[in-house]
Amino acid sequence: MAFLDEVEAQIPDLRRYAHALLRDAEAGDDLVQDCLERAVARQGQKRPDGSLRAWLFRILINRHRDLMRRAPRPGHLVAVDDLSFEPALPASQDQHLALRETEAAIARLPEDQKRALLLVALHGASFDEAAEALDIPKGTLMSRLARARASLRDMTGRNADPAHQMRNKR
Amino acid sequence: MPQDRPPLTEQELIAYFEGALDAPAQQEIENRLPHDPAAQALLEDWAQQNEDIRRLFPAGSDPVPERLTEALRVRTARPASAPWLRVAAMAGLLLLGGGAGWLSHAQFAPAAQMRPMAQAALAAHATYVVEVAHPVEVRASEREHMDTWMSRRIGAHVSPPDLAGSGFVLMGGRILPADTGTAGLYMYENAEGQRITLYVSRQTDPEDSAFRFASSGATQGLHWNENGIGYVVVGDLPRDELKSLGTSAYEQLL
Repeated sequence: MAFLDEVEAQIPDLRRYAHALLRDAEAGDDLVQDCLERAVARQGQKRPDGSLRAWLFRILINRHRDLMRRAPRPGHLVAVDDLSFEPALPASQDQHLALRETEAAIARLPEDQKRALLLVALHGASFDEAAEALDIPKGTLMSRLARARASLRDMTGRNADPAHQMRNKR
Repeated sequence: MPQDRPPLTEQELIAYFEGALDAPAQQEIENRLPHDPAAQALLEDWAQQNEDIRRLFPAGSDPVPERLTEALRVRTARPASAPWLRVAAMAGLLLLGGGAGWLSHAQFAPAAQMRPMAQAALAAHATYVVEVAHPVEVRASEREHMDTWMSRRIGAHVSPPDLAGSGFVLMGGRILPADTGTAGLYMYENAEGQRITLYVSRQTDPEDSAFRFASSGATQGLHWNENGIGYVVVGDLPRDELKSLGTSAYEQLL
């Protein structure tokens, strides 16, 4: 497959990830557009043996880091109470609430944990691929994921271990 | 046997869950799992987290927007020069001709200033389109003076495009403070009294870009970068109308 066709094949996954990171489809598409423009401009820089997918996600993630480093724009801050989503499948009231809780919890994760967690959860990226895309050692990714998953458990009140819960009480 | 082993650590479980272990290590965890209910519960919870995340952000069923597939063709399809607005002060045009040299320069350029610029343009639009007494500083009747003055203040040769074909007639222009120095704002009006603005400012990022939309309430902005200058067309118009205005402005560059 030609380079551009291979890149194009990754667009749906890039969009899904960008949308999840920014919780805004339009802003997500802007991020993907930035990523694609950069990928085309820098195609000569991609190592021929490296994974194209990891390389593309890496460009997108770097752009997301740039975005977050700048002052967050008021237009994209969503109050936790205003979070809403359209579930892919009809959900019961309880499921719906649980999903909203999860959504709010993800929104509160530190950006580096959020990037790592969404990457492995959404795309079933291989562990090596995710470490490559995030440009961090595997050990760092491991502990980042552990922290993200533990925070998510705490924030959604699913942590059944009372000792652990006590520790995390404010 | 396995009962004597200490409980599985979170690190071991994460590595197992994410498929980061080799086959023997994987097998080792699987052998210990049946004797570790806490670990089983944790794994179930993580699986639920993944499922929740996938439900929250489902794979898009909508077709990929054209602007994304277009972004892949930007380098080859876009014209390289813009006669109606040319950056005299910057070596942009010469470098554009340089191909590889320009690309290698561009990839070290700072992050695009797209979004702050679009925001500034939307704010300027909101401030000035409602102005009755002084919508512009220099009227279009003084076009020559306006072009000279605004070009000098912005630090690049600027001259507004003719949008009369879409029914919008130039009223005039003004200058505004901007992050990157001084920006220009042109205002146009149609027969129904509807106004649109074109915001122009120098960008530190020399990279060209495709069209992008930004919005604030009913007000839509369409912005792009060309030869180190950013442009934003703003109006309370549907996106397709704005896009045709933007295309018309852009085509006058050819």
